[in-house]
Amino acid sequence: MNPNKPHQELGEDPIRHHVFDGIAEYDRRLPNWWLVTLYAGIVFAIVYWMATEHFGRSSNESRLDAEMQRIEAEKLASSASAIDDATLWKMSRNPVFVEAGRATFQSTCASCHHAALTGGIGPNLVDTTWIHGGSPINLLKVVNEGVAAKGMPAWGPVLGGKKVSEVVAFVLSHHTPPAAP
Amino acid sequence: MSDRKITIEYNDHVVRQFLLACILWGAVGMLVGVVVASQLNFWRLNFDLPWLTFGRLRPLHTNAVIFAFVGNMMFAGVYYSTQRLVKARLASNFLSQLHFWGWQLIIVAAAITLPLGFSRGKEYAELIWPINIAVALIWVVFAVNFFWTLARRQERALYVAIWFYIGTIITVAMLYIVNHLSIPTSLLHSYPVFGGVQDALVQWWYGHNAVAFFLTTPILGIMYYFVPKAAERPVYSYRLSVIHFWSLVFVYIWAGPHHLLNTALPGWLQALGMTFSLMLWAPSWGGMLNGLLTLRGAWHKLRTDPVLKFFAAAVTFYGMATFEGPLLSIKSVNALAHYTDWIVGHVHAGALGWNGFMAAGMIYWLLPRLWNKPLYSTALANLHFWLGTFGILLYVAAMWTSGITQGLMLNATTENGTLLAYPNFLDTLNAIRPMMLFRVLGGGLYLIGWLLLAYNAYRTLLGAKAVNGTIEVFVADKPAEERLGLGAMVLNPPVIFSVFGTVFACAWMFGGDFLKLAGLFGTALVILLAWVHFRTRISRWAAWYDRLLLNALPFTILTFLAVAAGGLIQIIPTTLVNRASNVEGRRQLPYTPLELAGRDIYISEGCFNCHSQMIRTIVPDVLRYGDYSRLGESIYDHPFQWGSKRTGPDLARVGGKYPNLWHYRHMKDPRDVSPGSNMPNYPWLFTQDTDVAALPAKLAAQRTLGVPYPEYKGDELTALVNAQANAIAADLKAAGASVEPGREIVALIAYLQKLGKHEVIAPRLPVAP
Amino acid sequence: MQPPAAPRPNRDFVTTIREDGSRLFLHPADARGRWTTARRWSAWVLIVVYLLLPWIPVGGHPAVFLDIAERRFHLFGFTLAFQDTWLMFFGITGLGFSLFFITSLLGRVWCGWACPQTVFLEHVYRRLERWLEGDAQARRKLDTQPWTPAKFIRRGGKQVLFFIISAMIAHLFLSYYVSLPQLWSMMHANPGEHWASFVFVFVFTSILYFNFAWFREQLCIVICPYGRLQSVLVDDHTLNIGYDAQRGEPRGKVGTPDAGACVDCNRCVQVCPTGIDIRQGLQIECIACAACVDACDEVMTKVKRPRGLIRYDSVAGFVGGRTRWLRPRTVFYTLLLAVGTAVGTWALSTVRPANLAITRLQGSPYFVTDEAVRNQFLVRIVNKRDVPVRFVITLPGAPAELVRTGMDGTVELAPLAEEVRPLIVQMPRKTYAGEFTLNVRLADAAGTFTLEKPVRFVGPDKGFMDEETHEKRDDSKKEKHEERDHQHDLKEREKHQYP
Repeated sequence: MNPNKPHQELGEDPIRHHVFDGIAEYDRRLPNWWLVTLYAGIVFAIVYWMATEHFGRSSNESRLDAEMQRIEAEKLASSASAIDDATLWKMSRNPVFVEAGRATFQSTCASCHHAALTGGIGPNLVDTTWIHGGSPINLLKVVNEGVAAKGMPAWGPVLGGKKVSEVVAFVLSHHTPPAAP
Repeated sequence: MSDRKITIEYNDHVVRQFLLACILWGAVGMLVGVVVASQLNFWRLNFDLPWLTFGRLRPLHTNAVIFAFVGNMMFAGVYYSTQRLVKARLASNFLSQLHFWGWQLIIVAAAITLPLGFSRGKEYAELIWPINIAVALIWVVFAVNFFWTLARRQERALYVAIWFYIGTIITVAMLYIVNHLSIPTSLLHSYPVFGGVQDALVQWWYGHNAVAFFLTTPILGIMYYFVPKAAERPVYSYRLSVIHFWSLVFVYIWAGPHHLLNTALPGWLQALGMTFSLMLWAPSWGGMLNGLLTLRGAWHKLRTDPVLKFFAAAVTFYGMATFEGPLLSIKSVNALAHYTDWIVGHVHAGALGWNGFMAAGMIYWLLPRLWNKPLYSTALANLHFWLGTFGILLYVAAMWTSGITQGLMLNATTENGTLLAYPNFLDTLNAIRPMMLFRVLGGGLYLIGWLLLAYNAYRTLLGAKAVNGTIEVFVADKPAEERLGLGAMVLNPPVIFSVFGTVFACAWMFGGDFLKLAGLFGTALVILLAWVHFRTRISRWAAWYDRLLLNALPFTILTFLAVAAGGLIQIIPTTLVNRASNVEGRRQLPYTPLELAGRDIYISEGCFNCHSQMIRTIVPDVLRYGDYSRLGESIYDHPFQWGSKRTGPDLARVGGKYPNLWHYRHMKDPRDVSPGSNMPNYPWLFTQDTDVAALPAKLAAQRTLGVPYPEYKGDELTALVNAQANAIAADLKAAGASVEPGREIVALIAYLQKLGKHEVIAPRLPVAP
Repeated sequence: MQPPAAPRPNRDFVTTIREDGSRLFLHPADARGRWTTARRWSAWVLIVVYLLLPWIPVGGHPAVFLDIAERRFHLFGFTLAFQDTWLMFFGITGLGFSLFFITSLLGRVWCGWACPQTVFLEHVYRRLERWLEGDAQARRKLDTQPWTPAKFIRRGGKQVLFFIISAMIAHLFLSYYVSLPQLWSMMHANPGEHWASFVFVFVFTSILYFNFAWFREQLCIVICPYGRLQSVLVDDHTLNIGYDAQRGEPRGKVGTPDAGACVDCNRCVQVCPTGIDIRQGLQIECIACAACVDACDEVMTKVKRPRGLIRYDSVAGFVGGRTRWLRPRTVFYTLLLAVGTAVGTWALSTVRPANLAITRLQGSPYFVTDEAVRNQFLVRIVNKRDVPVRFVITLPGAPAELVRTGMDGTVELAPLAEEVRPLIVQMPRKTYAGEFTLNVRLADAAGTFTLEKPVRFVGPDKGFMDEETHEKRDDSKKEKHEERDHQHDLKEREKHQYP
């Protein structure tokens, strides 16, 4: 049946004697490459387990935390090194920030606060009345997190830290900073 | 020794019954599949009717295809081949009939209860507890009938197909029972005993291995019988059968956690899930190789024989699906693909290609033999094959495109990775909507193909007379030397090496400093010894295995040990660990009674079919849905609702994100507030009353399960429910929407607004020595 | 050590997997002839196309540039956004379906002529092997020689070369996804700056190297699903490579009385890259490369017998019948292919140079103020053109009283840019008469195209507005009112469809 010699050389019978309902079975050896994939899978499992569980390669959570911190750092770096009232006031006097903020304001905010900042659906931003606090940090918070009840959405996740601080700088450029203490 | 010649008439009657049931339920299951796929495209096809809504029909589709279609196919194939492989008639006509009619009754019960919204809220385990008990009982009937037949066999040795059947029967029993442990609160409702992460682990241990031991191993057994029969060729390699059977049943069971990669599941379980999935590739392909290379010698017949066509394609799709599976289990690939249509495409490559085509091949081969009449039309069978193949191609191509597109869009960021490019989920959904239509086309073609099979079968059966197979056998006494006692079963090289290897490997994986080292060296030593022993004493291994094949009970016990190991090692540590301390610094606030009622509505409507409640530990998830989910945040969830698919966005932290009015409008017509949404309308939630009367029983069950509910006295409970409901109704009214506080929508809103609420608890302090 | 002699191919076993499970590494002999020449030409055309596509600029971008990072696909000057990836479906199924169609006519012609595996293996790697190590006989001899420095240099050099070529193919593959200048800069930078790309190229190179240097035909036999799917699509009238047994049998040397045309020279077996004997009929391994056709033709010419003992023909043809090209199947496939092409073309034509998507601003679905009912939307516009475009948003058919702010005037988008802007619409309380559907239309300022999306203007029940003014109302009446409103809503909704 099988003209190949090697089977006999290996001292094996190429086909098993038993037949089940007419089904015979060859007794072929497994292809080596298949065995290698099986072993490779096992070796990988061992190495991976060693790496993650014994040598404490970073877990999901620590990797994520690191990545989120990178994002946080990126956000901080792009908005300003440390955002506080003074920095925002300083930004509002810088034409680079103000001009960038103007562009974002016109495309995003003007629909409610009017191109001249005089308000409409949203409150007037050039008068001296502040509903949610008039300090630059409060402004930043409102733009970032929104005022859900009034329909002011949270713009932080849409615009990102850089644009938000620019917009705040732009709004502040219409106001005078408090006298230096 | 007294050899008598006897004639055995096989019980092919029950085979015919199962075969016809398989054709019928296959058509039903696929039809429901096409319907639910259409609903994803055209939300109007939900017809605003509760029992025709996607969330309720999708479980019907999966259950019908798995348990009704493949179940009946499996029983037909198992009963037909087993009788012939062991040369014995099925042990009991009564048990056979009980098995058949019991199973059909279960299917009918499922087809009624699922659309009515009776659900346990766990995938592929949705059926309510009375049906669970029926399934378990009928499975035992099947097992008794099968093993009794084995006990009466005239053929001493067990063929490889029988190994797979044995593996299937014991494993499915184990999986099904553990995952369905519940505490009933009424005749139609129960809570699973496991909650949170434990429930997640048990569920996917079950869910993954339902695929393994309901959709794969029995079909492999069927392949080992019908492929060589149809090809009229010897099986390619018996050794490959041995190696791939044992490695498959041992490895498969561990891979369940790959459904929970990057979730709150403890890291070591995720590592096991991923690595065992990768290890599974070779054993799966062993089966494919054996099927394919068995067909190889009959390759020239493929041109003309539709049966071989189906088998060749089925084996090919099995190979594709089992290659894709390990790929999808790699954590980084999974981060992209999980919850998307890619996974849907993956399972359908298996279900349509492997299961469906194996079923078709088997049916076309069996019809002429069971009714002693040639197949009505080979041309129709060929057409079925071409339609089916093209249908699969359309379906899988659509799902790949859809899944990868949506995955990439969901993960896309701008501004140096600090912002999502598509913060609104709908932007990504609308990009893949056309693909959902193509999937309907593909599924539709496949269904038409199946209907052609049904017609072909009907025409073949017209005027045909059923025949039962017969065989003449010589009854021989069982020689004593064949018997394998308990000692010989255990005390032999393969088993000893396997047991020691596993024990040492466990010590290495879970042990403390010293044990770890000892385990590592022990494992290495055992492997080395086994290798040397195998090389030098190969004939002893072979002789022992030949003897094992003559003894069904020891074989069954060893198989059970092999499949039980993975589950035990994964589940027991997770259930034993003190729940209260394993919360990662956060603990869920228990649901108020109204919220619990709302949660049961959420489960009953099948919301989990499209919405996950698990923010994974990957950046895009956190940017989109908020801080990642902690173990403690689902600690009181019986059942867990982490979900497995995001047709809509994740809801783990949806509480407080929108006003009540938003949810109110959204449930009435999602498109009002989410343009382009494909979610169904839920008008009945606005007219039906919340089932407050069921709450005391439900709360009692929850208390039993360890959820800290106080005992409510007198009217306390009603007052509590009313107060919360009235507050929500008042808030809605103020916003311009009036609703009775007793309506279901109010309870559901209460639940949704609760999602993500937790208390922060101090991290455990290291215990002083 | 002498390796076991190559067994004669048979129908029971795979020639290239030896009895002991080891791999039999084939050294197919060179085939010469018209098919070989034609295949070499077509292969080089394909290779050149593959090499050049990322280099040829069409409309400012490489001819094929799948820009994953920017989520834009540039195909021969045509730009698609991520929102258009569903068109990929036509690409995938079109390819798949063409495979169906061609296979039903010509068998596994894809495998032998166009598959990258065959193209690179036969026309690049094996040619190099031939060049470095000589013909099949020399290579086999080299196999059995001991490891001398000369052999080491030869074999090692070949592997190095193979690896370099694999790396080139992998880099080129990546250049379909990142632009060439970027690829160039990445190749000069520290891998740590772009781990993902580096790992991808490294893994891909390794896979290519493993496959082309060693695994070779095993991929076609056991891994590739397409080969098998093609095999099952073959029927009696499909062209295949086969052996004319009627003419050839019984085999015998020239001059043997009563012998058929086959001289049993075994040339067809020697040239076969997958190690089969084509005379045993159609087999799983056959990739229809036609090497055996050329080999046999050469021998037949030498022994002065007609060519075509092994040839492209259908099973029907080999038994003396005629090959039917027009069969229900091929007609059906042609029809389906035509329909598919038509639908695909239509779908492509619906692709606009921009994309419009409308969602709601996060928060309440509507706001009721003293003056008006307000809805807030977020409009996303994608400019898919390579030039700056000015867009206009209009609300055709909106009630006259509707006040709109945001997106007034034109919006200018940079080439290939994507932008989201709020669109706020208000209905004055007095004129608010319940909810309605609002169509949002996007057009470019030049008016070359329009895109329209319906959204729902939602608000409180009309009754609620009245109630606020006339405090008291009968509850039951209100419910009826609500129901009527709902019916009205449903009817309204029938009128528009969400695509």
